[in-house]
Amino acid sequence: MPLSTPHAPQSLERTQTRAAVTAAGLWRAYGTGEAQVVALRDVSVSFASGQFTAIMGPSGSGKSTLMHCLAGLDTTDRGSVHIGGTVITGLNDKALTKLRRDKIGFIFQQFNLLPTLTAEENILLPASIAGAKADPAWISQIIRTLDLQERLSHKPTELSGGQQQRVACARALASRPEVVFADEPTGNLDTRSSGEVLRFLRKSVDDFGQTIVMVTHDPSAAAYADRVVFLADGQIVRDLDRPTADAVIDTMRGFENRVPLAGEAA
Amino acid sequence: MLRATLKGMAARKARLALTSIAIVLGSAFIAAALVLTASIQTTVDDLNGESYAGADVLVRPLEPETRGDRLVREGVTGETLAAIEAAEGVGEVTTTVSWMVNAIGDNGKIVGGLSPTIATNWGDESTDRELREGRAPETDGEVAVSAKFAADSGYTVGDTVTAYSESVQNTEYAIVGVYGYPGGRDSIGGTTELAFTTPEAQRLVFGGEDAYSMVAVDAAEGVSTSELLASLESVVGAESEALTWEAYNAEVNAETAEATGLIGKFLLGFGLVAVFVSVFLIANTFSIVIAGRLKEIAMMRAIGAGRGQVIRSVLAEALLLGTVAGVIGTAVGIAGGGVLTSVVANMILDAGQSSLTVPPTAVLTALAVGIGVTVLSALVPAVRASKIPPVEAMREAVKADKPITALTVTGGTVTAAGVGALALGLSESLGGDTADLTAAAVGAGLVFVGLTLLTAWLSKPLVNALGLLWAWSFAGRLGRRNAGRNPRRTAVTAAALMIGVTLVTATATLLTSVKASISHYFEDNVKAELFVSGPITAAVAPTFDPALMDEIRAVDGVESAVELYYDPSDINGTEQRVYATSDLEAGIALYGGAFLEGETTELADDEIAVNATAAETLGVGLGDTVTATFSRGDAPHEFTIAAILEDNESTDGWYLATAHTDEFYTTRPTSALVDVADDAEIEAVADDVDAILADEPAVSVQNHEEYAAQTTVLYDFAILAIQLLLGLAMIVAVIGVVNTLILSVLERTRELGMLRAIGLTRGQTTRMVTVESVTIALFGAVLGIGTGLGLGWALQVALADTGVDVFAVPVGLVFGYLAAAVLVGLLAAIAPAVRASKVNILSAISYE
Repeated sequence: MPLSTPHAPQSLERTQTRAAVTAAGLWRAYGTGEAQVVALRDVSVSFASGQFTAIMGPSGSGKSTLMHCLAGLDTTDRGSVHIGGTVITGLNDKALTKLRRDKIGFIFQQFNLLPTLTAEENILLPASIAGAKADPAWISQIIRTLDLQERLSHKPTELSGGQQQRVACARALASRPEVVFADEPTGNLDTRSSGEVLRFLRKSVDDFGQTIVMVTHDPSAAAYADRVVFLADGQIVRDLDRPTADAVIDTMRGFENRVPLAGEAA
Repeated sequence: MLRATLKGMAARKARLALTSIAIVLGSAFIAAALVLTASIQTTVDDLNGESYAGADVLVRPLEPETRGDRLVREGVTGETLAAIEAAEGVGEVTTTVSWMVNAIGDNGKIVGGLSPTIATNWGDESTDRELREGRAPETDGEVAVSAKFAADSGYTVGDTVTAYSESVQNTEYAIVGVYGYPGGRDSIGGTTELAFTTPEAQRLVFGGEDAYSMVAVDAAEGVSTSELLASLESVVGAESEALTWEAYNAEVNAETAEATGLIGKFLLGFGLVAVFVSVFLIANTFSIVIAGRLKEIAMMRAIGAGRGQVIRSVLAEALLLGTVAGVIGTAVGIAGGGVLTSVVANMILDAGQSSLTVPPTAVLTALAVGIGVTVLSALVPAVRASKIPPVEAMREAVKADKPITALTVTGGTVTAAGVGALALGLSESLGGDTADLTAAAVGAGLVFVGLTLLTAWLSKPLVNALGLLWAWSFAGRLGRRNAGRNPRRTAVTAAALMIGVTLVTATATLLTSVKASISHYFEDNVKAELFVSGPITAAVAPTFDPALMDEIRAVDGVESAVELYYDPSDINGTEQRVYATSDLEAGIALYGGAFLEGETTELADDEIAVNATAAETLGVGLGDTVTATFSRGDAPHEFTIAAILEDNESTDGWYLATAHTDEFYTTRPTSALVDVADDAEIEAVADDVDAILADEPAVSVQNHEEYAAQTTVLYDFAILAIQLLLGLAMIVAVIGVVNTLILSVLERTRELGMLRAIGLTRGQTTRMVTVESVTIALFGAVLGIGTGLGLGWALQVALADTGVDVFAVPVGLVFGYLAAAVLVGLLAAIAPAVRASKVNILSAISYE
């Protein structure tokens, strides 16, 4: 993958390009009997390579579950997930761990940096775990892009929230994963820091061809994406291309009206 | 608040259970020590009660006070016995002749090793005997043996046994009977016994004099014990005494109480170490529990709980935990004490039955220690908990660890004060003033406490350095960082191990130094290459025929050989070590001694040589006359001091020619020194000398190394015994490390989830936790070894005057301790590592 070649937004051609992540007929339920909650009902979705997708939906809509299943963190009851060319459904823990290490990058709401390591060591963490050597040119490019040159030797406790999340972004991209999953990456940040992080994610898609799947509930964050997938009651209810914040808000409002109905239906 | 405390405790069952193990151990050891002491005392009292049971009054010889009491026996004389039998109110009279002898087993070795064989006269009343095989001895050449003797020696009826005492040389006896004791016992208190006819027993014990060790007297019909006692007191004379059986029994019980008390103190010491170590563990657990409840406590404070209530809630938890663990510990201790008592009673005392005595003090002390230690240990964490501000409830971010400055400053000050006191004590102790040893001891204690306080400060550099061992692996690097992450917690955890390791290292270092000093002394000073001697622990002094000396001198390669006789004699009214030799000059030379004044080549029969200190003690000098009475001699002799010898450990005492050795307690030489020619093979000469001594089983030929090892064998036992202490400390340390690690794993759940999410394998997670565990344990061991070596060195310097002039490191043991620490780390890591590797990634990373 020619990562340094700038890509144009490809949202319209997504059906023609290779899919980075594909889910087919996913079911996921928690608990049994009366207390059973179905989090995903027959979800099929595909995320094209080099595209930035946001997953949105109200609380309990299944958006986090979907992401966890896509990332090999949670098991599915039915259906299959492909990442790159690999079917991950049914892989054992060891294989899944290796897959996450080599093919997936994570960005968490709580930053989740290791407090004992410096910013630079945190960025190199996935490579260290794999016992591999990171590509120095690539790493320094990310660091420059995120403007972290001055912070490399700092421990997480010495960094602001925005800086910590930028370190987490660098860590996610460091191993050039097939796909980066971002779980509410701006949930703990102020507006300015949120903007920085989202602009970086946008830039990594545009400039490096990175595939990103982001769970968020913030319409203005979703507006940075090429595409927004809306979930409600464990099902995909809307798929929006080239979203604007207003379009997202309108769609959301649409659901809020639907929620009681869905509640009645359940 | 109490209800909240109870619910909180229920939620933390596992950690509280772990902590309670430490309290249980401490309480149990203390209870067991007290129960064992009391029970053994009862058991031994019962045994003692059998001795001379039925007699009303006993008559025994008064021991002359200035003689070594095990060496020469004086008995109740035949005339006194006749007077007793003729006295008013006397019923039946029985006599006992009894003392230690050596018997040679069918393997050619002395039977019994450390515990003595007793020669007695068949039919005495010291105890009941039951013939199992054969018959009683009827002639002087016959002997009946106790069942334990038969088992230990390998002999039975029809065999011949060789025995000797200080007054009788090797004599062969035909074994005609084997006997046991009431209750089917093979021995009393584990001793082996030989029963002879009364005249033969008198020959062995009193050198053939008509004398008795004990005369047991029954009162005649209608005569009270006090009347009998009064009657006997008037006839026994100045060299014997009469006492009632009750008085005798009380005396024997008091003597054994001293011995059992020592065992009890030893166990109690172990208990106290366990308790001391538990203090750290309990305090750490409560700190951890409180750290985990930070928000909960802050919330309670926010909704109006007072600081006192917070303290009380923590202390209530401690009280409950201490009570439960204390009760369990006391019960376990009492049970353990009972089991130990029956083991000791059956295996060592051969008592047949044992009584379990549970003194109320045992229960009260063990309970008080369990509860008291727990509550006191929880006090500091409780006060700290009460200082948590209510706003903590609202704070989100991870707080930086509390600074350890105050701790470090205190620790540094205490350590500095300790080092100062130690230096003062040691520098002045070179002058030989014992008062300064106190300063050194206080200093050593202060250094120990100070360093314990400094562990937090030391943890950063040391843990970092130790962690380098695992730096080759990424999981290892993470583990190393985690171990250094919370210096306070790491320090307290490691301190538990450090204390135990310090104690054993310091003791082992001192004992090793003592051993090395003795060996070193031999290497440097003693010119003789070979020694002829027997074990210092033998019941009867090992001796050999002096006629063999000429044969030894004739051996090819022997330059010279000197024999030494020994007697604890009375010189000018004090007990002194007296040696006799046919060649003083050679003897002194071979021992590396030197003449200070009045060099003499040969002592006349009325001349004596003495070392400088002994002369000074008695206030005599060259040319003065001293009066000496020997163990078996009745009349004093006068000697002129012909030479003063330089002080020298091996030659300290008085030296005579051999003219009076027939009055020595043993009339044969006890040791010999052999100087081997430089060009001769020492081993070959040793073999030749050994062949000459073939008929003298009590003594053997030893080279420097063997001889030094023999004199230091007791230190080896001591070193072994203190290793048990380490074992105990290790158990507590394992619990401490497990506690700390489980907490760390809980606290870092989110972090573990993240690491697993981005690709850390289960194996790597396990290794990371294991490295943290082993690093903490090694940190404790390294601190303990360092402190122990330092304290051991200080002790050695303090004792340098007494001859401990070489500092030696017990290298093997030190490596053993490091290996033990690794083992502690590995064991402690199991549960937390499994827990960490099974962290549910989803719940770990998902927010609220």
